[in-house]
Amino acid sequence: MSIFKSIKALIIGHFTVIKHMFKKAVTKEYPEERPIVNNFFRGKHVLKNCTGCGYCKKVCPAGAIEVIKKDKDLVGYVIDYNKCIFCGNCMFYCPTKSITLTNEFELATDNKSDLKIDLLEQERTI
Amino acid sequence: MNYLLNLFIEFLDKHNFNESIGIMIFSILPFAIIAAALVFVVLMLVYAERKILAYMTQRKGPNRVGPNGILQTTADAIKLLCKENIELLHSDKVIFTIAPILAFSSIVVLWCIIPYNAEFHLIDSTISLLFYVAVAGFPMLFHFLAGYASNNKYSLLGSYRALSLTASYSVPILFTLLATIFLADSMDLHKIIIAQEKVWFIIPNIIGFIVFFIASIAELNRCPFDLSEAESELVSGYHTEYSGMRFAMFFLGEYAALFVTAVFTAIIFFGGYQPPFGVYLSNILMGNCRCFNFLIYFEQTFWLIAKSSIIIFLIIWIRGTLPRLTQKSVMNLFWRYLTPISIINLILIILATRG
Repeated sequence: MSIFKSIKALIIGHFTVIKHMFKKAVTKEYPEERPIVNNFFRGKHVLKNCTGCGYCKKVCPAGAIEVIKKDKDLVGYVIDYNKCIFCGNCMFYCPTKSITLTNEFELATDNKSDLKIDLLEQERTI
Repeated sequence: MNYLLNLFIEFLDKHNFNESIGIMIFSILPFAIIAAALVFVVLMLVYAERKILAYMTQRKGPNRVGPNGILQTTADAIKLLCKENIELLHSDKVIFTIAPILAFSSIVVLWCIIPYNAEFHLIDSTISLLFYVAVAGFPMLFHFLAGYASNNKYSLLGSYRALSLTASYSVPILFTLLATIFLADSMDLHKIIIAQEKVWFIIPNIIGFIVFFIASIAELNRCPFDLSEAESELVSGYHTEYSGMRFAMFFLGEYAALFVTAVFTAIIFFGGYQPPFGVYLSNILMGNCRCFNFLIYFEQTFWLIAKSSIIIFLIIWIRGTLPRLTQKSVMNLFWRYLTPISIINLILIILATRG
């Protein structure tokens, strides 16, 4: 009888729901409790000992990287986070392994112009 | 009610107040208590439902506003009060404005006929059961009018569905309530409760309870029978075009109806304000001391609310489990299964009590 089958299924369904009521919530309350990201996470970039070869600029699919040179000297390395898709190509193709993607993912700002970050300046300040 | 009035006048007499002042205050006071209780209960119910559904889906629910999120619904209500009432260009303005008010007030009328304990009831009538059945269908009518007046295809479709649902759920409800009338020999809710002093009506009328419970979920317009406001198909059915306080009227009315239906189920099948073990706890605790006699009324209200909160939990549990039925399967369920079952149940109960 199909009706008894469906009544049985109803009862099983209800008890599955009640079982879940006593499990721990999967919600993480963000500002107090930060998510733990894995080692391969692609977040904000960090620059170290860049030679300014411009390889990253060529491989960047979104065209987010801008390498500014003045008489063969590197004077600026700007990443536009409006465009960046965090693919990690720049890190993969860098011949000197000087650009890396960190675990930092909190990039939200009130101002859109704050998303253009000069990594060379940042390197100097650190 | 007379006993409470005497107590009240006696109390005022001790503090040198006139008897006429007591009578005047007493004609307003119960309604004020009901109005305050309604707002409190509705806000708590919304909070409870959100919290229980959150736990069922392994979330945390509201937990930011106030301790454990308890003020979240109050904040929501204040927000809805402050919002703009948007009026549409080609809507029927009079019906559009009046429908949410009437839908809410017809539920408030239902709150007034419930006997909360042996003395406290606002409308005392020998046919209060019939009165309940008549008024309980009203909100659906105003849902239809709201959808009809708002000049929107989603609203209109939602209100058609509400009407077809009303036609199908009210038949099994009427037959099960007829069975209750035969069991209790009365249509007075007080007499129905007193008739359950020894055995609750759920024991002879268990089939009736199941039918009534399913039909009352449909009456409340809740999952799995919320096809008149099916969010995924009809935006939100009959109240698509409503905003601000008018929407809040529908929303709060839904929860007020949830409470009143749960209380009514407790009265019809679970002995109402009678204690579950046949003995009042206050009688045991206080002995035969007459000075604390009034405690029994508080205990009766406590039992009524305790029983109804279990039923409310069941209804929320069902909402957390089942998906929405299609209109065809709702009709199928009510007309092909529940209506014949309730008629057979009625015949069996008539044979058992009169045969």
